[in-house]
Amino acid sequence: MKRVLGDNWVLPALDDDNRAFFTSGKLVVQQCSQCEKFQHAPEDICQSCQSFELHNFESQGQGKVESVAVVDHAIHPSLKDKVPYAIVAVSVDDAPGVLIVGNVIGKAPDDIRIGDNVSVVFEEVDDERSGERLTIPQWQAVQ
Amino acid sequence: MNDKAAICGIGETVYYNRGDSPHTEFQLACMAITAAADDAGIAPDEIDGFVTYSDNRNGPTRLSAALGIQNLRFAATTWPGGGNSVAGAMQIAESAVRAGYANNIVVFRAIAQGQFGRFGQAGGSSGMGGGYMAGGAAFSGPYGLLSPAQRCALRTARFMHDHDISQEALCDIAMACYANAQSNPRALKSGKPLTREQYHASRWIVKPYHLYDCCPENDGAAASIITTAERARDRKNKPAYITGAAQGDGASYSTLTPDDLATSFYTPVAENLWGYTGLEPKDMDVVQFYENFTGAVLIALSEMGFAPPEGIEEFVSGGALVGPEAKLPFNTSGGNLAEAYIHGFQLINESVRQIRGTSTCQVRNVEHALTVGGPGYAPGSAIVLGASQ
Ligand SMILES: [Zn+2]
Repeated sequence: MKRVLGDNWVLPALDDDNRAFFTSGKLVVQQCSQCEKFQHAPEDICQSCQSFELHNFESQGQGKVESVAVVDHAIHPSLKDKVPYAIVAVSVDDAPGVLIVGNVIGKAPDDIRIGDNVSVVFEEVDDERSGERLTIPQWQAVQ
Repeated sequence: MNDKAAICGIGETVYYNRGDSPHTEFQLACMAITAAADDAGIAPDEIDGFVTYSDNRNGPTRLSAALGIQNLRFAATTWPGGGNSVAGAMQIAESAVRAGYANNIVVFRAIAQGQFGRFGQAGGSSGMGGGYMAGGAAFSGPYGLLSPAQRCALRTARFMHDHDISQEALCDIAMACYANAQSNPRALKSGKPLTREQYHASRWIVKPYHLYDCCPENDGAAASIITTAERARDRKNKPAYITGAAQGDGASYSTLTPDDLATSFYTPVAENLWGYTGLEPKDMDVVQFYENFTGAVLIALSEMGFAPPEGIEEFVSGGALVGPEAKLPFNTSGGNLAEAYIHGFQLINESVRQIRGTSTCQVRNVEHALTVGGPGYAPGSAIVLGASQ
């Protein structure tokens, strides 16, 4: 899909911590290999058991809106024709304990409610700097 | 450590709308500091320590040279962050004075955004990185989550949802600050009272925040001087004793998690502050709460223990925060919203005035005055000042 905030909007700067999240074409959540707890954003150490053994869990991509803030005032010039847009914090059904920030498609910003079910979709964009194809997780409203 | 510490001098510049200061930021800092020294009855070169927070532009060696200080004995700052650390900076100075490492420590904050660009804005000092955002911002910036207002709005929206809180509760916070500013000639919103109708008619910034829920950006500086209680008693103004200060953070507070979404990060601050001082919210005669955003204050009021979340809307309603006779005298100088946004340091000075009895919205017989730092960012911090040791 096309980017919610426009093709020219900022991209994530890829690094070893976020490459899987933004390029795998799956919803990826960091999981501890020892205690199996999830955490996001990725961290160098498990925040539950302090293990360094961490891996990427591939989620089925179903989630729930835990909070929503509708942006009416664009704080960057290139977002002036994108407002209002909704920022959501989404909990992931099969990776409890984390929240993932995103936008929602398929529903007007002011109609999005806490508790709404959403499923992951991906913005696809070529990242000229890294030469990689990005798959940026976003959320589709589930009817 | 035997003796308490006390604030013996306060000072500030004229406050300006953003970009209107005729002085450089460093000049503003020096003006506030020399005013505080004068208020304390000491010469500027008797200052022997500097502490600040969220400020890497007005450093201790530059200040020492400017003020003729021959023996700077203590310099420190909190971790980088924002107004969450305002009372944390006071705590550092208090600890150093009580340990005997310095005698007259200045804590201050200065800001001139015309000179240096805007604080707390994407595209400002943090930058947009030429179309890329890195580190933690990589997980938020591409989704248009850029500003402190947007971050705090996500937390406030969930708090309002969980506890059935209406927009009127946010309005009550804003209206109290504007009302209390009307008697304060320093306040930028003096002469500009706010009505409920004006509040609701103002544009949305990010729902649930209207324009009036968000603190303005201002230029100016404010400073306090901290010394031992013994020395403070010999100075020209009544000491404001530091009863206790606290910082606080919780295990999962560095990231957004479902369990800690609707927080302002002040539950651990409350536990640490009330535990350290042996006091309770009901012992506070007057309170100053750092308002970056009204909704974040509502959460902080609740987390500090003034009312449970489900009762917080009723607690702030009906003018309960307005005026010196209020049920809870609150932001008596107008706060960040209506006096000036000097990253909350002007709140410390207002608490000192309440202890001295010199506020323009003076509460009677103040024994304890609470100042609470910026909500929604961690570690949070808070400080209690006392009229007696
Ligand atoms: Zn673990």
